[in-house]
Order: sequence, then structure tokens, then C-alpha cells
Amino acid sequence: MSEQRAATQVGQFARRGFAHPADAAEAWARLPGLDTESVLEALSHAADPDQALAFLVRLADADRSGLAAALADGDEARALTAVLGMSEALGEHLVRHPERVGALGGISVEPPGRDAHRRELLAAVGADPASDAPIARADGAADRLRIAYRDALLGTAVRDLVHGVRIDDTAAELADLADAALEAALAIARSELPADAAPCRLAVIAMGKCGGRELNYVSDVDVIFVAEAVDGADESAALATATRLATTLMRVCGEPTAEGSLWQVDAALRPEGKQGALVRTLASHVGYYERWAKTWEFQALLKARPAAGDTALGAAYADAVAPFVWAAADRDDFVVDVQRMRQRVEDHIPAKEADRQLKLGRGGLRDVEFAVQLLQLVHGRSDVLLRSPTTLSALEALSTWGYVGREDGATLAAAYRFLRSLEHRIQLQSLRRTHVVPDDEADLRRIGRSLGFRTDPVAELTDEWRRHAREVRRIHEKLFYRPLLQAVARLDAGDARLTPEAARERLEALGYTDPQGALRHLESLTSGVSRRAAIQRTLLPVLLGWFADGPDPDAALLGFRRMSDDLGSTPWYLRLLRDESAAAERMARILSSSRYATDLLLRSPDAVSLLADDAELQPRTRQQLMVEALGALQRHDDADGVAGAVRALRRRELFRVAAADLLGLLDTEATMVALTDIADATVAGGLAAAMRAVAQGLPTGELPTRFAVVGMGRFGGAELGYSSDVDVVFVHDPLPGAEDKAASDAAMAIANELRRLLTAPSPDPPLEIDADLRPEGRQGPLVRSLASYAAYYERWSSPWEAQALLRARPVAGDADLGEAFTSLIDPLRWPDGGITDDALREMRRLKARMESERLPRGADPTLHTKQGRGGLADVEWVAQLLQLQHAYDVPPLRTTSTLGALQGAVDAGLLDPRDEEMVVSAWLLASRMRNAVMLARGVPSDSVPTSARDLAAVAYVLGYDAGGDLLEDYRRTTRRARGVVERVFYG
Amino acid sequence: MDKQTEFVLRTIEERDIRFVRLWFTDVLGTLKSVAVAPAELEGAFAEGLGFDGSAIEGFARVYESDMLAKPDPATFAILPWRSESPGVARMFCDILMPDGSPSYADPRYVLKRTLSRAADMGFTFYTHPEVEFYLLRNQPDEGPPEPIDRYGYFDNSPQSVGYDFRRQAITMLEAMGISVEFSHHEGGPGQQEIDLRYADALTTADNLMTFRTVVKEVAIEQGVYATFMPKPFRDAPGSGMHTHVSLFEGDRNAFFEAGAPFQLSKIARSFIAGVLTHAPEITAVTNQWVNSYKRLAGGAEAPAMICWGHNNRSALVRVPMYKPAKGNSTRVEFRSLDSACNPYLAFAVILAAGLAGIERGYELPPGAEDDVWALTPAERRALGMRPLPASLNQAIQEMERSELVAEALGEHVFDFFLRNKQSEWEDYRRQVSQWEIDRYLPTL
Repeated sequence: MSEQRAATQVGQFARRGFAHPADAAEAWARLPGLDTESVLEALSHAADPDQALAFLVRLADADRSGLAAALADGDEARALTAVLGMSEALGEHLVRHPERVGALGGISVEPPGRDAHRRELLAAVGADPASDAPIARADGAADRLRIAYRDALLGTAVRDLVHGVRIDDTAAELADLADAALEAALAIARSELPADAAPCRLAVIAMGKCGGRELNYVSDVDVIFVAEAVDGADESAALATATRLATTLMRVCGEPTAEGSLWQVDAALRPEGKQGALVRTLASHVGYYERWAKTWEFQALLKARPAAGDTALGAAYADAVAPFVWAAADRDDFVVDVQRMRQRVEDHIPAKEADRQLKLGRGGLRDVEFAVQLLQLVHGRSDVLLRSPTTLSALEALSTWGYVGREDGATLAAAYRFLRSLEHRIQLQSLRRTHVVPDDEADLRRIGRSLGFRTDPVAELTDEWRRHAREVRRIHEKLFYRPLLQAVARLDAGDARLTPEAARERLEALGYTDPQGALRHLESLTSGVSRRAAIQRTLLPVLLGWFADGPDPDAALLGFRRMSDDLGSTPWYLRLLRDESAAAERMARILSSSRYATDLLLRSPDAVSLLADDAELQPRTRQQLMVEALGALQRHDDADGVAGAVRALRRRELFRVAAADLLGLLDTEATMVALTDIADATVAGGLAAAMRAVAQGLPTGELPTRFAVVGMGRFGGAELGYSSDVDVVFVHDPLPGAEDKAASDAAMAIANELRRLLTAPSPDPPLEIDADLRPEGRQGPLVRSLASYAAYYERWSSPWEAQALLRARPVAGDADLGEAFTSLIDPLRWPDGGITDDALREMRRLKARMESERLPRGADPTLHTKQGRGGLADVEWVAQLLQLQHAYDVPPLRTTSTLGALQGAVDAGLLDPRDEEMVVSAWLLASRMRNAVMLARGVPSDSVPTSARDLAAVAYVLGYDAGGDLLEDYRRTTRRARGVVERVFYG
Repeated sequence: MDKQTEFVLRTIEERDIRFVRLWFTDVLGTLKSVAVAPAELEGAFAEGLGFDGSAIEGFARVYESDMLAKPDPATFAILPWRSESPGVARMFCDILMPDGSPSYADPRYVLKRTLSRAADMGFTFYTHPEVEFYLLRNQPDEGPPEPIDRYGYFDNSPQSVGYDFRRQAITMLEAMGISVEFSHHEGGPGQQEIDLRYADALTTADNLMTFRTVVKEVAIEQGVYATFMPKPFRDAPGSGMHTHVSLFEGDRNAFFEAGAPFQLSKIARSFIAGVLTHAPEITAVTNQWVNSYKRLAGGAEAPAMICWGHNNRSALVRVPMYKPAKGNSTRVEFRSLDSACNPYLAFAVILAAGLAGIERGYELPPGAEDDVWALTPAERRALGMRPLPASLNQAIQEMERSELVAEALGEHVFDFFLRNKQSEWEDYRRQVSQWEIDRYLPTL
């Protein structure tokens, strides 16, 4: 052959779609006599012509005349090349068994059916298909089963690849074939029983995709085994036989032999899962479902279908379990379970291949299947038309009868079909169980071509895949929520739509406790033709889902309605929610979980814009806040104006911190610091305004004294919560030459003005200033001079006052004065040599008395976060005792921070690290609890709430599944801390 | 509506039931009952019946008092002692919070939680109690208790009240679907024993609550008084509730291992080791009254030392004689329990102790060969035997330190139980007994 001819031939192969035309030309040359135009034509239709041709060469080597006969027939050539070009595994099968090539000829569009498959596979293992309990008599039956199964699979592949049957039909045939294989494997298992095995009846129930007759080329086949004794025989002996059969069956299918393996048989869906008995009697199954089963198990039962073994027993099983499925939605925990199941689907995304996964993760095939099943469980109890075990049929029924919008139903069905086809084609190549779209060009090209993308297979396939995946990712809004809007909005007349009854049913299943009210809000938000109503119609299906994830969807929907009433005509608001879906999701989470944050937000709805940006959800630094608070002095001439600006600043920052906290962006300690910074800035701004106002009222226009605010308690410790007042003492120091009386009058006026400014009625929340920790408490003067403090502490100071001073921290006002104050008190709070035995005894007694007296009447000591067992006071007193005893020679103990002091004590060997861990976890939990109560309910409480609703809301904020678990954990953590307190504090 | 619920509603109609008693148990093991008319029942099935939990011992404080009792249709039975029509039936209830989640204060939920922990490990817990009690001629307010007879252990007592009593009690129990395995006259005068057939622990606990009621009712009908007080007579044996326990994995007894010593599997050995290790801390629950400890001090068949033995009736845990070819009947007998315990809580802590042994792989110490009571204190110490708590006070102190019991009971019940028992002990300490009067008054 001349060079030129070869070159032309190479070009011809390139035009025919070969990826490696030169290699192809060379291979082609090795098929003399078979190299006809019609064969070449057939090859060019194959998904991977190069692979098909390579197999032809190997088949020719194995059985030339057989191949020639097959290729002579145009249809058969087409079938053969299609299989060879798509499936390496089936190609290898043919190479190993070249005599099977001829069988590819007469493959019809119609599948042979379940019975024919069963007969064929049973015959292959030498069992009598007519017997009720066929026994495999052939040698090497497991190998024979594999060969016969692959032969049958060739037929399925040809129907799929050449005849173009629909994905549902292919999947159904694969399930039929799996049934047949299970039957044959059971026949093999019977042949391996010892002669004296007790007789038994065993039925194999297909679950999952096999049960739904929507199987993949390769996936685990889920089954459940049910067995009974033959009449009158001993049940335990029968169960022993049945267990043996089941084990052997699983081994026969899954074990690799010289001919490979079929697939794994997975029996994990049985009662009690992998821990449970492999085989149970029918009564035992029913007993389990009556008493123990979880909602997802009923969901799994939706697909139960007798697949092999004893027919009557299988049918009895199906009859017995069906009623459970349709009663599942009546179970108490259904709503909660459904919520968890929805979230679980999304949690299981394996990070590394997440973006190429077809099955798992949000928008995966599993998600579609789950969502359809949930709707079936919700609506199927009252509507028998929805009870199909097959995803596509169920989806069609849901859409026909108005439970899902017709267009959404059709889009989803198309997407599901495409993604399943893609999955099938991926699996065909190696017959391996995978749900990941390959990233190899050649693989993508083959798969793309097989799905009909011929021009630019890789790009076209990828586009189409991404397009469908996008549709599926919005499955929940399409399936669950959009029909609810159609129920109220009455837009597309004529279509079947959700009846009001079904809408209520669905809202209830999604966790809305007042479905009537919810429907009213939906109607008001979506009716009309305004742009706003139109945007809200597209937003709400998504928002409703997010609301339903929180503890109070009803409140969230109401909150959203109020937000929209306020801001709906502001152009940026709806745009923000529409375009920045993170902002919308965050808003939904806040509205559904926190009255505190919702109240702050509704007071100035424009704060919602903070949610669009992570950087905006970082707390402002103390420095930034101070600058802004003090800057208000320049912008406002009057004190009330300054205070207004400072308090608005505080409101905005509180929302920022609350939002970040609720969204999990801030831990407990960071939250406490941020809240303290806000309070510091508020007090500083308020104080500056008060000082200026008082000075302006004086004839000289100048203050006769220096003034400082010292933070005490949690404020001093920088441990504020949302509900904390700020504890302070006020100190002043007359300027040289000033008259004492004038100085103290001015100081008193400043203190009073500060409190007035920060608590005067206003739309912004007040900051309560509490000065009760001052010397002599409420009986003492509100403000003292530095000299007066010095005189007082010299004469009186009790151990209790020294303890309170441990947390004193200058917060605002004259910095030098603040420092002078701390120098004055340092010798008291860190007494040289520690405290005396008398003082220690006094302190313990005081604490013991407080435990009985401070606890409000009727309060549960195990649930009181402040004075209760192992609560805040318990832990703080431990820290403070260690400070009083050791701070004089352990400098790290000279801190106002509780956690800092405890850590310092551990570092100095004064506290066992295990004890520290126990008290710190209790202290942090109690602090988080107080914050969570405030966030969830919007009103403070010292006790863990016990009403079911409040408790659930608090549990959600704290990330617990159920209120009861939270109570358990709280009581346990604090009980352990109390044990430490008894030892360390009381000694 | 599930089939069982339908069955209940249908039976109520067919059998002309006019009242249904909804039963539940407070934390101390007292049966509580509220009667509803059949018309209200459907609602109770769907949503539970609201009641004020603060009125029930250990359930709730005043401010969280709303609770729901939700009948379990599987426990439906017609009460046989109200022979005349209209009939009365009963069901046990689960106690729920207003949001429908189970209440941590419900003893039934305490047991269910522990059972589900066992289920997570693949186990079902079976129990078989032998309940002892006394029949008295007179009511509690009619002077010192007088037993109905002077017979002893296994005495055939024809035509005696006791004989009739047992026959009628058993008939009623069987009528309510509670199988009785065995019954006989016990060692003390007027003392009876009735053994219930083994069943899963939740069913057994429900059955025990029914059992106590049936026994009391039959006694009333026969003009006598039945008491489960652990030790009513100084000189006669107390009323224990020896309980045989076993774990099953599916349909297989997990305690059995052919060929192992005493046919006890590793699981069984670890389970026993767990029960022994944690015996002191669970005793306040298994023996919850001041009076319980007088029984334990009594010698004979009451165990006071923590040890186990093969067929040793003086040990805390006894491994009964193995019956060949009955692998599924392998079990161990826990002997300190008394008939006045709260069976839900008691089974929960025994199971929790056993599971701890399995989870942490405790080693079983050697068994006690001898009659424990015949050993001297020094010998017992040498054999490494610890005593059970000698008083309610000691038992409370052991329990207070127990993470295992706190875990099993849940913090709510744990806390309530301790407070209640502390106050019982305080009350007892202030008593001046007849013994003190007799002993001290003449000489001091």
C-alpha cells in the first residue's frame, strides 16, 4: 500500500470519529476480509470507535469465523460495535467467551422479562426453574451464574445503547435481572446446605433501587430476608438454616471468582441495621416496625418488593409492612425526623469529589429520590394514587395530581433521567460501582458520544450535566415549597394545584404549627402583580425551606412579612435578598431562631445589609467603636443628640454580634469580648456627653474635678452577655484648688446625667448602669472621691469587698484617675500573703448562705445559671478564692477575667487541669445558655427555660437536637463542676 | 391509625368497656391511674391526655407542670376483677412533654433509653422476676401484722387462704395476658412467691406494675392484706425479687457459649463483672427504702456481699445450673432486688451496669464457692468481697458519686431520686423505735 493511500485512510478514520486515527488504520489493517464499509460505518457510531476496533482485533484473533458471521449482519455489527465501544468490561467478557458474539444478533427492543431472566439464570446453574425451591446442581455454579448474568447484561446494553430504550426501562430490566440472579444465588445456597439442615421458607425482599425497579448497572443490591419454619417445625432450627442460606447467597453474589463478581448484596436496611439478626420471621419484622422503627426505616419500606425465594411469604411480608409506610406520617416524631433526614442528605457530601458527584450531596440523585419519597409519605396516606415505589412514576403522579407544579415536575424528571443515564454510561465502561463523573477527556468523550453529543462531546456533555444539576439543586423549593405558593397565589389557572387541605398537611409536615396563618402571610406576600410580589414569589419557596429548618418557622414568616412591609419598596432590599442568597439564608436563620435579633432588625431593617458580607459580620474593634462613639460629640451639640447617636451605634453593633453569634461565626469568649467592647464605647460616649453637658451648665464652663468610670463584675471581667447590666463604680478627684462641695456636686451630676442618657426612653435598647457594688451599697454615696475611697478602704473594707474589687477595671473617663484607683485597691484585692483563715471561713459561709438565700423561691437549683449548682457564681467564687489566696505572688492571677484566673491557677499548679476543664465547661455552658435564652426569647432569664417551646428554641441556638438533651447536658456538666467546687472552694 | 389502636377501639366497643384506666408510674414506683371514657380515648391516642405533672412524685415542678400521658395500645388489657359489666380496661402510658417529646422524668422512658443503648450494641434485655410478698390477716391500721398462716417453704397448704389466693391471682394474671411460670408458699409464714415468665425488660416492668395491683385487688376480695414491704417481720425472711436476666443478640442468647466455663460467654462474664463492680452505686435504686436494708441484713438467701457464685444462693449474682440443650435459657440471677423497687429504674441500672462491664471489658473475679454467710469477716476480706451498702444512707452516698447511675436515670430523675431519698433518711433518723424503748428505757 502506498504512503498516500495510508495517509488518506488515516484522514478517513479521523473523519469517522476515531480519536487515534493512525493507530486505527494500523489495527484496521489487521482485519483483512472483515474490513468492509459497513463495519467501518458501524464502528463510527460506537461511543469509542478506537476501543471498539481494538476489541474487534482481539475477537478476530479468538474466533475469526464467528466474528465474520456476526459482522456480516448489519444490525448485529451495529450491536456488537456499540457494546465494544462503550463497555470495556463487556468487551472482555466477549473476548473470554467469543462464542457469545453470535447471540448479539437477535436482540429485540422488548426485554425478555423477569420470568425469562429467571428461567435462564436458574438453568445456567443447573436448577429446575419449575421448582418452588430450585437447587443448583451444576459444578462451578457461581462462575456459570456470572457468565449467564453478563450474557443477559449484553442484551440490556444493546437495548440501551442501540435501541435507545428509556432509562426507566433499562433500570427496570436491571432490577429484573438482579431478581433472577438472587434466585439463582439462592439455588446455589440451597445446594450447599448440609443434608440434615432443618427445612425453612425464605423470601428475599428487594429494597432501595432494586425494590423500586430502578437499579443501576452496578450498585449494591439492598435486601431484607424473612423466613418462617415449614408448618409445625422448630422455628429456631429453621431460622438457622435460613441464616445460612442468606449468608451463602450474599457470598455467592459478592465474592470475586475467576469470572469476577456480580455486585454486593447489602442487608443493612433490616431491623436494627447491621446489629440486627440477618434473618427474622415475619412476626418479628412486624413486631420491630410496631415498636422500634424510625421514620427513615418506613421510608425505606416504601420500596420493599419480594424479589426471590418463597413467593407466598414474600407477598405476606409486603402486605404486612405496607400499612406501616402509610402511617409513618402520623408518628409523633415525623416532623423532626423529616427535618433531620433533609439535613442529613446535605451533610454527606464527600468533600474531595463533591463537584463531580452524581449521587450524594445537595442536588444529587439521592436528594431527588429522598424528596420524592418524603412527599409520598406526607400525602400518600390520604392519596393512594401516589404510592408508586419508583421515583419517576411517583414524580409523575405527584405532578399529575397537583402536589408538584407540572412544569417543575417535568424539568425535574428530565434532569433525573439525564443524570441517571449519565450514571449508567459511566458505570458501563468497567461495570464498576461509581457515581463520580470522570475528569479524563477520553472517558468524557466516550460518554458524551454515547449520549448523542457528536460535535464537541466533552463540552456539550459538561454543559448539559451542569444545566440539569442546577435544576436539581433547587429541588426542595420546587417540590416542597413552590406548590404552596401556587395553592395561594392562583396564578396559572387550569393546572391541578395543591388543595388547601394538602397545603396545610404539607406545611404541618414541614414544621409550621399554624398553617392557616402561614397561608395567609403567603397570600399577602405574593398576591398582586407588583414587581415586589413577583420577586417574593420567586424568593419565598427558598425562604420557606430555610424557615422550616429553624425552631420557629411561623415567627420567621411573620418577621419576613413585617420586614417586607417596611422595606419592600426600597429597591436594594429585594435585590439584596434575590442576588445575595447567603444574605437571604442568614436572614431566614435569624428570623426563625432569634426574637432578640429579630427585634433589633425590625427596629432598623436596613441592618439586613450587614448579612451580605462576612467582613461586616466581624465585630468592630474597641478602637473603631471608641472613635465612632466619641465622634458623635462633634456631630451633635446637645447631650441627647450624642446619646441618641451612641445608642443607635450600640443597637447596630448588638445586631452585628448577635447575627454573627447565631450564624456560628463567633465563639462564646469572642462574643463576650465584643459585647464588652460595645458597652465600653457606649459608656465612654455617654460619659463624654454627660461631662460636656454638666460643664456647660457651670458658670465657669469648666469641670472642677476629674471623673472616671470603673467597670465591676462581668463588665470589669470583659464577660458581658446580651442580657447583662453593667456594674460600675464612679470615682472623681477634685482639681487642685477646687472646692470639695462643688467638685462632688459636679461629679454627682455627671453620674446621674450618664445614667439618664443611657436609659431614657428611646427606640434603641437602654443600657442599665448598676452602681450597687459601691462601698456601703445603696446606702453609700453614688460617687466618691479618690480620697474618700482611700479613707473608706483603710477603715472598713470587708473580705467581700476585696473580692468584688478583683474585677475592677477602669472603663471610661480620666485614664490617670482610673490608674490611681487601681493602685489604691491593688493591695486589697491581692493581699500580701493571701487571706487569713478567718477571712476564708467568712467567705465560705457567705457563699453557703447565698446559695440558700439568693436562689428565688421555687427555682430549680440544677437549672439556675447564676446561683444554681455548678452555675456562674460557683465557678467565679472558685477563681476569686484562688486569686485572693495567691495573686500576691502569682502575677498571672492578677486579672479581672474568670477564665484567665483559672488558667493562671492551673499554670501555677494551684488547680488540677481536669478540675479546671470541668468548671470552665460549666461556666462557658452557663454563659452560652444565658446568651442563648436572650437570643431566642428576647427576654432575659436566670433559669434554663423548661417550657417546651422556649427550650426547643434555646436548644436550636445552642446546636442541640432536642430540649431534653440540652437539659441533660446542662445538668450533667454543672453537677460535675459542683463536685469540683465542693472540693476546691469548700475544701 | 395502626392496627393495634384499631383493635383497642374495636374491643372497647365489642366488650362494652365503659372506662379505660390509663396507668403510669411515678419515680418511686407507685402506680398512678387516670380513668377516661372511651370517647376520649381516640384523642388520647393521637395527642396524649394532658395532666398536671407537678402533682406526681418526681415528675415536674409547678412551673413546668403540663404533661401528656399517651397510652401504648400494645398494653391494652381488660381488668378482670371488676367482674360485672360495664367492664374496665387499662393501658400503660408514656409520659410526654407538651411538644410530644418524651419526658426524662418518666421511668418508662428511663428504661426505654437504656434498652435502646443496649439495642445499639445489638442486644435485647430479658428479665424474669420471682416476686415474694406476704399475706396478712389484718389491715395496716389494725395493729401489728399477723400472717395468714404458719406454713413454710413449698408447704402444700390445701384449703388455706394462700392456696386459693395464688390460684385466683394467677387466673387473673393469665386473663390479662401475663404468664406465670411458678408459684408456691415461701419460707416465711404467710409468705408467697409467684414467678413471672421471662419477657423483654419493658414488658416485665409493665407486668410487675400490673402484678402488684392484681395481688392487692385479690387480697381485698378475699378479705386479707397483701404487702410487698421488703422486711415486715424481724424473724421471718424478707420479700425479695430475685431477677433472672439475659441478653439476646437477635434470636440468640448472648450469654451462652457452648463449652465455656458454666457455658457463660465472654459477654455474660463481662456483664456479671459490670453488675458486681457497680453494685454499691445502684443499690439505692434496687433497694430504695429504709426498710430494704433490714432485709439485706437478714442473712440466709439475702445477699449482702458483692460476689457471684455458680448455683450459690448466698451470692449477689448466682449463675443457675445449666440445663443441657437449652442454650437459650442461659441467664444470671440478680438477688438483691426487692419487691418494692421501681422495676423500670431498677432494670435500667442493672442493665447499665452490665453494659458498662461489656463496653469496658471488665474481668470477672473468681466465683464464690462457699456459703458467703458462713465466712468470717476476715475471710471475706481476704477473698476480696466488698459489702453492699448497709443502709439507705450509705447507698445514697455511693449513688451520689456515680456517673453510671446519673447517665442511666438521666439527670432529672437522678437529682429527684437523691433528694427524695435524702429526706426519707433524714426523717428516719429522727425516729425512736420500739427496740430503743424496750432496750434503753428500763435501764437508762
